[in-house]
Amino acid sequence: MSSVAARPLTVAVIGNPNTGKSTLFTALTGVHAQIGNYPGVTVEKKIGRLQHNGVQIQLVDLPGTYSLSPRSLDELVSVNVLLGRQADIGAIDAVVCIADASNLERNLYVVSQVLDLGLPTVLVLNMWDVAESRGLKIDAAELGRRLGIPVIPCEAHRQRHLADVRAAIVSAASGPPPAIPRIFPEVFTAAVQDLQQRLQDWGAGAIPRPLAERLLLDVGGQVETGYRQTLPTEFGTVLDGLRLRLRDQGFRIPAGEAKARYAWAKEILTGVLTTPTQRMVTASDRIDRVLTSRVGGLIVFCVVMFLVFQAISTLAGPLMDGTEAVFGFAGDAVRSVLPAGPLRSLIVDGAIAGVGGVLVFLPQICLLFLFIAILEDCGYMARAAFLMDRLMTRIGLSGKSFVPLMSSFACAIPGIMATRTIENRRDRLVTILIAPLMSCSARLPVYLLLIAALIPPITFAGGWISLQALVLFAAMSLGALIAIPVAWLLRMTILKGETPPFVMELPAYKWPSPRMVLARVYDRGRAFVARAGTLIFATNILVWAASYFPGDHTLEEQLTTQIAQLEESSEATLKSRDELQSSHETVEHHLAALDSASMEAEALREQLSEIAIQMSLVERKLAPLTEAVDARNAEAERLLEHSALGRLGRAIEPAVIPLGWDWKIGVGVLASFPAREVIIATLGTIYSLGGDIGEDDPGLQQAIRTAAWPDGRPVFTIPVGLSVMVFFALCAQCASTLMIIRRETNSWSWPAFTFVYMTVLAYLGALLTYQVGTWWMG
Amino acid sequence: MLMTLASQIVPLDLLAAGETARVFEVDGRAEFVHRLHEMGLQPGAEIRMLRPGSPCILAVNEHRLSFRLEDSTTVLVEVSR
Repeated sequence: MSSVAARPLTVAVIGNPNTGKSTLFTALTGVHAQIGNYPGVTVEKKIGRLQHNGVQIQLVDLPGTYSLSPRSLDELVSVNVLLGRQADIGAIDAVVCIADASNLERNLYVVSQVLDLGLPTVLVLNMWDVAESRGLKIDAAELGRRLGIPVIPCEAHRQRHLADVRAAIVSAASGPPPAIPRIFPEVFTAAVQDLQQRLQDWGAGAIPRPLAERLLLDVGGQVETGYRQTLPTEFGTVLDGLRLRLRDQGFRIPAGEAKARYAWAKEILTGVLTTPTQRMVTASDRIDRVLTSRVGGLIVFCVVMFLVFQAISTLAGPLMDGTEAVFGFAGDAVRSVLPAGPLRSLIVDGAIAGVGGVLVFLPQICLLFLFIAILEDCGYMARAAFLMDRLMTRIGLSGKSFVPLMSSFACAIPGIMATRTIENRRDRLVTILIAPLMSCSARLPVYLLLIAALIPPITFAGGWISLQALVLFAAMSLGALIAIPVAWLLRMTILKGETPPFVMELPAYKWPSPRMVLARVYDRGRAFVARAGTLIFATNILVWAASYFPGDHTLEEQLTTQIAQLEESSEATLKSRDELQSSHETVEHHLAALDSASMEAEALREQLSEIAIQMSLVERKLAPLTEAVDARNAEAERLLEHSALGRLGRAIEPAVIPLGWDWKIGVGVLASFPAREVIIATLGTIYSLGGDIGEDDPGLQQAIRTAAWPDGRPVFTIPVGLSVMVFFALCAQCASTLMIIRRETNSWSWPAFTFVYMTVLAYLGALLTYQVGTWWMG
Repeated sequence: MLMTLASQIVPLDLLAAGETARVFEVDGRAEFVHRLHEMGLQPGAEIRMLRPGSPCILAVNEHRLSFRLEDSTTVLVEVSR
């Protein structure tokens, strides 16, 4: 045993989707799996560790699949791992094949393919309880004897029989491999040997028998594509010739494989599986009568989606505010300890703001994945995809794209991460590429600021509809509307190809397992922080540096210190100003509700003028402080103007003039490329109001209204405001989203493409809006 | 075959809700046909239409599958009358 214990065993886990594979994986290894990507593909590499009687095992989770015939590079990964050809995994010591006990016949299809590999194998019959409740009887011992491998009944979601699985893995891995079942007729075996020989003759090297079988069976599959690229064209002719010969001998491709494997499965199961003669109407079928019906199903779907987004918007807000508050507090703490200077600015405005910028998304991501995981685990997600398929086919996608796109309205990051459920690569890529067009919550503050400042508060229909709300609605829908032609264009051009038939399993409903749901949320949250977080952080530091250097910050720091001292010494006066302000507001509020000619109103008006007098006294006392703040803000504006970022803004001015923007808007837009919400703070700095500012700040709204060109024309006209909004609606101003696209597609070209197409789209959209708007409004 | 006298071969989309049938042939591009076979829709499999339309919902043994077939793919089934 000691020689075995020296090296950890590598064990692959494979099985059909919806068999509880992830549940078993999590139950065996815990939540601390190591997650990464296989080089060159989008498949997630997930490795967990466990121990049994001192034997270390590393468990490799392979994607759920109905078969081992690779149609794409992504699917080829599983085959390469199993054959020990994946360099970053190495040789496989054993395979755990997980099957749904209540659906054994079809599940044996992939089992037969795994047995074909000649590796030590353990068959886990999961959902044993479901099979029993349906009246199915399986003789597991006899099944094991016929297959020549251990067969373990298991209930992974209840954590039952896990020890049996562990023991079986260890004993299988140390024992001899099982005999390879004879599934195919003699003619096929002969053809495979013939092909192996021919490949050797061509100098293609020895091809493992399972791979040669795939080469022959999968017309247009990944193995064939690979060999056709490297071998002379004659190879194709020979391959086609072999297939034709097989057809003449009564083995049709591809039907022959399914026929042979299902016949084998049927034979194996005869006498092992007893099914009840009476077909039972399951609870799932009864639920589906409502949930998949045209009318009732859609109503339930809308209610579910509404509840999910309502819950996210009510819960994420306070959590995000809390995260921001924590980082604001941390920044203040550093400020009180460190002296002013580049180091303090780097830590506060660069590092802490950078980490905050990453973590502020975490509540949304975790909440959304919590709901997605619950809906997925209970089986509803497949029904939602079924219901939405009709709608999504109109833009050339399938129902599986709906939830990721809907999620992107909260935030594109979890939306893009949720595209993993789309197994068709092209559909998944199109969905990823259009997801950032959905109006996420970070665009909202920009819209709110510009609307409050520029759109007149006109109402129609007796006050029920306001122009401001209409503009907000239009801004929020713009991205989704543009996404329709974009998706269509993508499918017509760079992501062309025949749409595969849409086939999806609707798993039986079950109660979601809290352990599974939490593990999923933890997984996704950690993947975001670890992989995208570092890059988001780096971009934040970069923008900080561009707006800080070059420049002499001594005067600004002196003023800041002076402000802090003044604030401290006039604390009482500041407090009374706040009190006066709030009582002014209360009185005004009361006054508005009264008849202006009444006695009471007269009294209130007097009260107001009294407050105003007191206010001016207080303001006079605070004059030095106000002056210092104004001077500091002016200095900050000057520094930003002369920083690398400011100079860049000046340099690109000719490009933004056709959009109706001045260089200040240009700088704001440049600074907000890592994160669009940054524009609020940048505009605050650039209009000398300080960077600590929110979108509802009356000063900023006022500054926007009064901003003017050197010749005195106002900068922000309605067409300019709309042009900025259109730009923000369509532009890829979110480093996090681009990093997530990079992570999910495992390539830099897709985020680069997204960035370019969205920026071009945004520029053209803004140009069109401004030009048409100016022409229309005279 | 004697069976064919009492049965009729029709495309899958002609099945009404609740009707049962046996898959006769899946026709179309080889790779799609292969995939459908793997998912259990192979000749000889017994199916029951749960919700007709596009996409439809089928029962194949204990599985519930949702299907939307493209124009190039046809599933012919044998209905016993």
